[in-house]
Amino acid sequence: MPSRESILAAVRANRPAATPLPPVADFAGEATVEQFTHWLHFIGGQVIRLAPAQPLDQVVRQLYPDATRIASDLIPATVPVDQQTPTEVLEAVDVAVLRGELGVAENGAVWVPEVNMLHRALPMISQHLALVLDHRSIVATMHQAYAAVQHTGNYGVFIAGPSKTADIEQSLVIGAHGARSLVVLLR
Amino acid sequence: MSHPQRAAAFTSDAERTTWHDETLWFVRQKRDKAVYAIPEFQELRQLASDIKEHTLSRLDEYLEQFEQNARANGVQVHWAADAEEHNRIVLDIMRGVGATSLVKSKSMLTEECHLNPYLIKNGIAVVDTDLGERIVQLREEAPSHLVLPAIHLKKEDVGETFHVHLGTPKGEKDPQNLTEAARRHLREKFLIGQVAITGVNFAIAETGAVVVCTNEGNADLGVNLAQVHIACMGMEKLIPRTADLGVFTRLLARSATGQPVTTYTSHFAKPAEGRQMHIVIVDNGRTRQLGRPDFRNSLKCIRCGACMNTCPVYRRSGGHSYDFTVPGPIGAILSPNIDMRQHSSLPFASTLCGSCTDVCPVKIDIHAQLYKWRQIIAQEGELPVSKKLGMKLLSSVLARPAIYRFGGKIAREGLRFLPHALTHATAFNPWAKARELPEAPKQSFRDWYQQTVK
Repeated sequence: MPSRESILAAVRANRPAATPLPPVADFAGEATVEQFTHWLHFIGGQVIRLAPAQPLDQVVRQLYPDATRIASDLIPATVPVDQQTPTEVLEAVDVAVLRGELGVAENGAVWVPEVNMLHRALPMISQHLALVLDHRSIVATMHQAYAAVQHTGNYGVFIAGPSKTADIEQSLVIGAHGARSLVVLLR
Repeated sequence: MSHPQRAAAFTSDAERTTWHDETLWFVRQKRDKAVYAIPEFQELRQLASDIKEHTLSRLDEYLEQFEQNARANGVQVHWAADAEEHNRIVLDIMRGVGATSLVKSKSMLTEECHLNPYLIKNGIAVVDTDLGERIVQLREEAPSHLVLPAIHLKKEDVGETFHVHLGTPKGEKDPQNLTEAARRHLREKFLIGQVAITGVNFAIAETGAVVVCTNEGNADLGVNLAQVHIACMGMEKLIPRTADLGVFTRLLARSATGQPVTTYTSHFAKPAEGRQMHIVIVDNGRTRQLGRPDFRNSLKCIRCGACMNTCPVYRRSGGHSYDFTVPGPIGAILSPNIDMRQHSSLPFASTLCGSCTDVCPVKIDIHAQLYKWRQIIAQEGELPVSKKLGMKLLSSVLARPAIYRFGGKIAREGLRFLPHALTHATAFNPWAKARELPEAPKQSFRDWYQQTVK
């Protein structure tokens, strides 16, 4: 590997004098459902608070009355999805209902690790996405989010709202490549 | 061609120039709104700058740590000294798995390395999947902005491009409908992509993971449907700890577009079962920049584009006028490191107002570096003749008080009776292109002072 060695040697020769690594940053903020809801709305998502005894599948059916292909490990699914599910099947999923681990109040992002996704592509390829989140697992900022997540695992994504683009004349369009809508179901 | 010449072509359409200026200023204003909502924003900037500074001071150690952890995750790590080696590595990976099609999410590094033309020449079908990148790819243009690749285009232009290439109805210019057409078109490409390339926003030394930030979801969709993921990164993308992402994810999107965070902040550490992940670490001039004390700070850049949105020159000259992968103020301090002769006009494409430095989320002293590059370029004799002679003339006049006084007198008298067409002839007074000279005073300050203060 000659390039590896020559690059590392050049870095060693050219690197500046050592400076200290700052301690891990932590700024407090409001870890409230209100903040989380405000920001998720701001970025085009929706928050629905579930009543304690409300059955999840009933809520999903009300939200997506036309959805026939639902992938989920939280409610009875109509499309079974696992890591081996072929692309054609994934591509036809109307709604994925998955568990979010953690919500971030300052920006409406929800942490979704690989184990919650059924298939790595499901949260993006599904036409619509619903994330079920415990209201007690909302933290204030990204500092607390990374502190809580600790290790980001093999694959994991902070998902903040629906897929979007403003690449045509800065006009915001929801639904670029990923999910066309995002609902967080808070319980 | 120099920056002023290319800028002149852009500004010949005054209406479009104004629109471009206002559109980018609007993005700057969105940035301000997002930034002012975070009381600790200035502290975050300092932290980000300090973390990057520390990382650069031990970059070799962090690169090795990163490589070791990535390998332990089952990722294949490659090192490329320059663009050519980077491109060859990517092609070799593709040939190794017998792939002929590639979906690409946003990567300024692969633009820098001119990967697309290289792969296409070698028989690979390359599809850029970021909407803006796809638009410019179909038009066979380069991106004109770091995060808004098609910001130089109007919706009518995009409508025409999509009509020709995607078969949308003639005259269709509604962004919603055009995006929907692109979504359908690109979904087909995602489904058949054998290899997915992504850029890297941050590489985490302690875990070997790479972090990719997008709004569209195209990076995740591409990677998670393809057999092979190739992540291409400049070696300066490293940060030491996962926890440092707390600082950078709070800064990046707010600085770039005024969003509180990008829609997808994706952490890739280990390939899915039965699939491959590769990381290509690229130097391509970065170690050289690291060795320049005046300019090494530019390696802190997180490619948010805030400096272009705020730059009065970029906003009115467009990204293509820079003729470099990274346009705007940051491009103007990165490009001379790559090829000083070719890019010698870029450090002069600035008013040195310092707005770029003020908005930079990692506190790069951009305008100070622009000023320093100017001096180096002058020392190396790379100034255009007009500027060289002009400066020479000026310095000889300023060094001789008698000639200076005489010249001032001639100018004061001359301006009074010489015809406007002559004094404002753009051939030898380009300053007067869009400006009026002030009325000449009757006497010089020196004369007035001698008369008044005895």
